[in-house]
Amino acid sequence: MAVATIEELTFSYPGAAPALDRVSLVIEPGEVVLVLGPSGSGKSTLVRALAGLVPWFHGGRFAGRVEVVGRDTRRARPSELAVAVATVFQDPEDQIVLAQVEAEVAFGLENVGTPPSAILPRVHRALDAVGAGHLAGRRLAELSGGELQRVCLASALALEPQLLLLDEPTSQLDPDGAEAFLERAVASGAAVVVSEQRPAAALRHADRVLFLERGRVVLDAPLDEAVAWLDAHRPAWTTLAPRTTLFHDRSEARAQRLPLPSNNLLQGTAGEVVVRVAGVRFAYESGPDVLGGASLELRRGEVVALTGPNGSGKTTLAKIAAGLLEAQGGTVERAGRAAFLLQDPGRYLVRETALDEVALGAGVERARRALENVGLAWAERTHPRDLSSGERERLALATVLVGEPDLLVLDEPTRGVDPERKAELAALLRAQAAQRATLVVTHDVVFAQEVADREVSLGAEQEALAVVA
Amino acid sequence: MRPTAAAALLAALAVAALLAQQLWSAGAIALVLLCACLRAGRRARPYLWGTLFSAGFVFLLSPLLQSTGWHVLWSGPSVPVLGQLDVTAEELRIAALNALRLAAVGLAFAAYALLLDHDRLIAASTGRRSVLAAALATRLVPTLERDASGLVEALRGRGLAPEGLRGHAALLSPLLAGSLERGMNLAEAMEARGFGRAGRTRLPSPPWRALDVAAVALAAAIVVGALWL
Repeated sequence: MAVATIEELTFSYPGAAPALDRVSLVIEPGEVVLVLGPSGSGKSTLVRALAGLVPWFHGGRFAGRVEVVGRDTRRARPSELAVAVATVFQDPEDQIVLAQVEAEVAFGLENVGTPPSAILPRVHRALDAVGAGHLAGRRLAELSGGELQRVCLASALALEPQLLLLDEPTSQLDPDGAEAFLERAVASGAAVVVSEQRPAAALRHADRVLFLERGRVVLDAPLDEAVAWLDAHRPAWTTLAPRTTLFHDRSEARAQRLPLPSNNLLQGTAGEVVVRVAGVRFAYESGPDVLGGASLELRRGEVVALTGPNGSGKTTLAKIAAGLLEAQGGTVERAGRAAFLLQDPGRYLVRETALDEVALGAGVERARRALENVGLAWAERTHPRDLSSGERERLALATVLVGEPDLLVLDEPTRGVDPERKAELAALLRAQAAQRATLVVTHDVVFAQEVADREVSLGAEQEALAVVA
Repeated sequence: MRPTAAAALLAALAVAALLAQQLWSAGAIALVLLCACLRAGRRARPYLWGTLFSAGFVFLLSPLLQSTGWHVLWSGPSVPVLGQLDVTAEELRIAALNALRLAAVGLAFAAYALLLDHDRLIAASTGRRSVLAAALATRLVPTLERDASGLVEALRGRGLAPEGLRGHAALLSPLLAGSLERGMNLAEAMEARGFGRAGRTRLPSPPWRALDVAAVALAAAIVVGALWL
């Protein structure tokens, strides 16, 4: 018997066009279904429909039928489905309820009425399954983004669901972390529906691929057939960009590591030096050193990708380069104006319209040009919070580009952005590269390959690997 | 110590401070609670600043709004509505007492927010929904602090910086909007995790120890003592 069946589902959020349009789908036990599609195509809505959150939590117009583990979602509330359906959302911080890891993982088990004596053993089993057994006694406020996401997966797996729903769960993880996360989810044996904007890792685990556009399923096929279709019709979703052979194989790149002394400057070869960071050290409060002698040099005209695993200090180094943090040792020389785009910048927009947001400190005419450059000319009068997450990212990019900085630092700019928009962003950064030095902090290997002239990789031990074009 | 016992103790100290009639007793309670809060280190800062600001405001303003006492220390002009502005020794004493009471209540809340294991408090409570709501509300302060830092940092990254009271006040609206959005996301995640379903169970809690019983007895004694004195 199928775990979930969707028949002719059409759904519109209140006052909006259909987010899903006559979608039909059957999910078999143990099947891994990858859902792809551009921002706003209905991926998250599909995941929410399978969890019963659409229409119960969001309201709206609902036609058709969704049956999950034999229950019609129009009759069974999401909380009633929770015994068989578990969901992991994109942002772990928005789904954490309690303060301690053990209690957090137990939260769902308590809600679904698990016998008290069985709760703790299941909590520990789930934490062990995601490689987070050592976190059991920790406070969630002390964990990194990657660790939080693993705790969220453990909370879902502890329920031993028949259907596991993952809505862009790896957007905050480095490639190795994303791979491990998906491996653990698939190993649970549940049917898995995973929506992704970075399909590379997920494609390796999928049995079947759905591609959504404007709420409609334009592809529903087994993996091999789907990859062939994507190659032919939506190449941005499967291929590496043409100018990226340089970083084709990361293990190969690692093997070419140069024996760099600790204070080595990772020099570029383009125009004049815009920022030079040499041997900087940094620690947050009384914690251990996040950076212990890192160096970096950026020149006008070059785009540099700063990569490395979660917790390696990439963001800290980038903030020091942009002047947002003061180094506690070493030297920083900067020429000209720096601009820095934070991770998840959509959270930090402060004005009532997109135009006012970009015009803050820059003037209306320049703001209009900046909005046009990022493809948001149509959104001038739109409230920033009414934009999709990908559109918010582009709006935030406009807010830093409008100042025409000499040094532009972007921290994970492709989070929540689909491959086609990423390609546009890469093209925009390349087109404006000559005007400034650009540093892109990213886990997104494909994007790094597409946009960067060279890569600087921070290792867990602060070692640096430079791959120069 | 069990969080239930610790919460009872903190509540008893807050009640005792509100009932205190002597400066020294309200001051002693506030001092004890301050020492407890300082154990939380840097995390205590926003709570301590908030408490200091509120208590200071009460101390400075209330003498001007009262007309009590006869030992006049300062005599000011007569203003509409408020009348003659003057400060007496008696008014200062009352203002100090009220400020210390407020400080003690604020510090008791800070200690509750900073030092207690809210998860175990929720697990031990019979009114799970209301205690969970209180625990989530308690998290609002650090979350808002983090969001406010993010907003300021994002503006600095754009070469802008909020200046003065007006500049910082302009951040309140996006902070509130962000909190509402976060709240909606959390509510959705809780619904998906079965919150509100009938027949819930709970993690077994450890048995009461002598220290827990002593703390509850001490809390009761503090309240009775404060009422009696």
